[in-house]
Amino acid sequence: MTDLFKDRLQRHLREMAKYLRLVFNDFFVFALLFFLGGLGLGYSNILKSLKTGLWWSPVVALIVLVIVAQIGRFATLIEDADRVFLLPKERAMHAYFVAARRYSQFLAQCTQVITLFILAPFLSVALHWTVGKILILAVAQVVLKDSFLRLDLASAYQVTGQRRMNQWGFKWLLAIVILASGLWLTPYLALVLAVVVDAAVALWTQQHWQKQQIRWREQIKIEDNRMLGIYRFFNLFTEVPMVSGTIKRRRYLDWLFTCIKPKHSQTYLYLFSRGMVRGTDFSGLVVRLTVIGMLLLYFVRGQWLPVFLAALFIYLIGFQLLPFFQQYDDVVFTHVYPVLPEFRLKSFVKLVTLILSVAALLLWIVVVIANFQLETAGLTLIVEVVEVWYLARIYTPQRLARADKNKA
Amino acid sequence: MNFSLGLDLKELGKTTQVNNIQQPKGHVWYNRAVNSKEMKGCIMALEVSHVVGGYSQIPVLKDISFDVKDGELVGLIGLNGAGKSTTINHVIGLLTPHKGKISINGVTIDQDSQAYKQQIAYIPETPVLYQELTLREHLEMTIMAYDLDADKAWETAHELLKTFRLANKLDWFPANFSKGMKQKVMIVCAFMTQAKLYIIDEPFLGLDPLAVNDLLNLIEARKKTGASILMSTHVLDTAQRYCDRFVLLHDGQVKTEGTLSELQAALPEAGESLNDIYLSMTKVDRA
Repeated sequence: MTDLFKDRLQRHLREMAKYLRLVFNDFFVFALLFFLGGLGLGYSNILKSLKTGLWWSPVVALIVLVIVAQIGRFATLIEDADRVFLLPKERAMHAYFVAARRYSQFLAQCTQVITLFILAPFLSVALHWTVGKILILAVAQVVLKDSFLRLDLASAYQVTGQRRMNQWGFKWLLAIVILASGLWLTPYLALVLAVVVDAAVALWTQQHWQKQQIRWREQIKIEDNRMLGIYRFFNLFTEVPMVSGTIKRRRYLDWLFTCIKPKHSQTYLYLFSRGMVRGTDFSGLVVRLTVIGMLLLYFVRGQWLPVFLAALFIYLIGFQLLPFFQQYDDVVFTHVYPVLPEFRLKSFVKLVTLILSVAALLLWIVVVIANFQLETAGLTLIVEVVEVWYLARIYTPQRLARADKNKA
Repeated sequence: MNFSLGLDLKELGKTTQVNNIQQPKGHVWYNRAVNSKEMKGCIMALEVSHVVGGYSQIPVLKDISFDVKDGELVGLIGLNGAGKSTTINHVIGLLTPHKGKISINGVTIDQDSQAYKQQIAYIPETPVLYQELTLREHLEMTIMAYDLDADKAWETAHELLKTFRLANKLDWFPANFSKGMKQKVMIVCAFMTQAKLYIIDEPFLGLDPLAVNDLLNLIEARKKTGASILMSTHVLDTAQRYCDRFVLLHDGQVKTEGTLSELQAALPEAGESLNDIYLSMTKVDRA
């Protein structure tokens, strides 16, 4: 079973490495270095101006430590199929979970230690702590995190009353009590409390796990959510196939559809418009790009730069909309409905025209407000109109026709 | 006529394995069933003739021919992987045959895809819905796509919704429906079209007994108005009771077709029920 976990861990790490390489591209690393440098500088400036004995300094330390104690989740790497295929191996799963906990320790404890390291100068200046005291607090924090992970492991089993112990409220309370005792009284007390809790959880698990069933469904759901969180993060930088958009009803936007007459030729406009508004994938993209463009244009002055930027953003939006045409290809009715493909394409062109026009209008208004100049406003308007017309009416149908031909 | 059945079937099995195209002579039951079809000569709603096709260049269907007449319910029977879904995908125009022709009331999809598709209503095996549309919007979309008279179609739809207990769920999203409910949505959408040919892929699994009964009544009623139905299924006892005729597919070929009595006459030793006939037919390959 530990071998199984090792195999999965290897696969998992390979996947993470693949994405991390994409996330930490040169540009991002550069920006991150600047950001961290700035942050470090700010921190050292605050430390210099800090006086000993302020009432709020232990509060700040407590908030930071309690929050950081929650970081680093129990990564089980279990999969949906496990509840069928590993069910006969349920007892042996304990070894798997223990291996998973050991792995989870690594990242979680690194986070704790680094946090304490960063916090150390603050503690020494604001609370006048010695290095020994800080070290004891660091050990207490690590032991506390260890007991949290043990709690997560214990909660994989179906025990009455168990549900309450793994709840976030319980963990927060535990962290607050133990760390507060350390910060206000003495870190030795925090260490003793943390060790007692850790030992108690370990002992309790040891006594109980053999008689209990694994809560497969919950564990799988927790793991899925954990992975989804990671993929969502990666999705900010690159395409991740595991993240698909969600659908929101957005009833308050229903008025948008009233102008679409239920005519045979507009069957797909009916579908596309609703899909666009209610799906988060493409609408999110359009809104994000439009807002970023508007913000940028608000701060940009000049004769040609606003014109260029407005054109660029319209192009970006129009280009990103293309794949939406194939959004419903895997619904069989898209092919079965007696609607000519020309109508489908026309509907799509109409939708793209509409979206680009609205985006162009918004960008234009910002350009007018920011520059307040007749020439720039006029130029932008002309360029935008020509571009929207070309993108929607000429470029889009051509591209889609070519994509269609390539597929066939 | 004097062949014993066992020998006969074994020989058939052999020949199909060795050569798929050359049809063995002297297969009494096989020939009789095919001949009886040709003798009737009614109007064909759906005519599938010598279709070779599949998902890739390797053909799954090897020269398939059968038809569905007006007002007829034909059951498409076969094991998993026999080619039922592939056949259906060809009929609804999702796949293009490598060879052969499929026509609905004389129209092929190449002649007029609009007129061809207009005549079909399809109920897939696994229900598929547009995730962003509510039930009401699905029905509206169907009305638009088939260019139906809205008032009339809604009248039918409301009746169907009431029958399948969906009337109070018009504003639901597909994500909130169970599998059976989704299947009912498919049924409602298909049967509000007044199509000439209904293609139903395995309708009985996943539906509750009440809905199965309602669906069968619905099919009966549509048959009376002259609509034809091609239905694939594994639920043989239901098929036996309701289908007018059967097309038995095996390994991408039409093994035999005909009414139950024709099949019984062709395979007198196999047994009375469709189930027995079907099992004996599949034994050919297993032997």
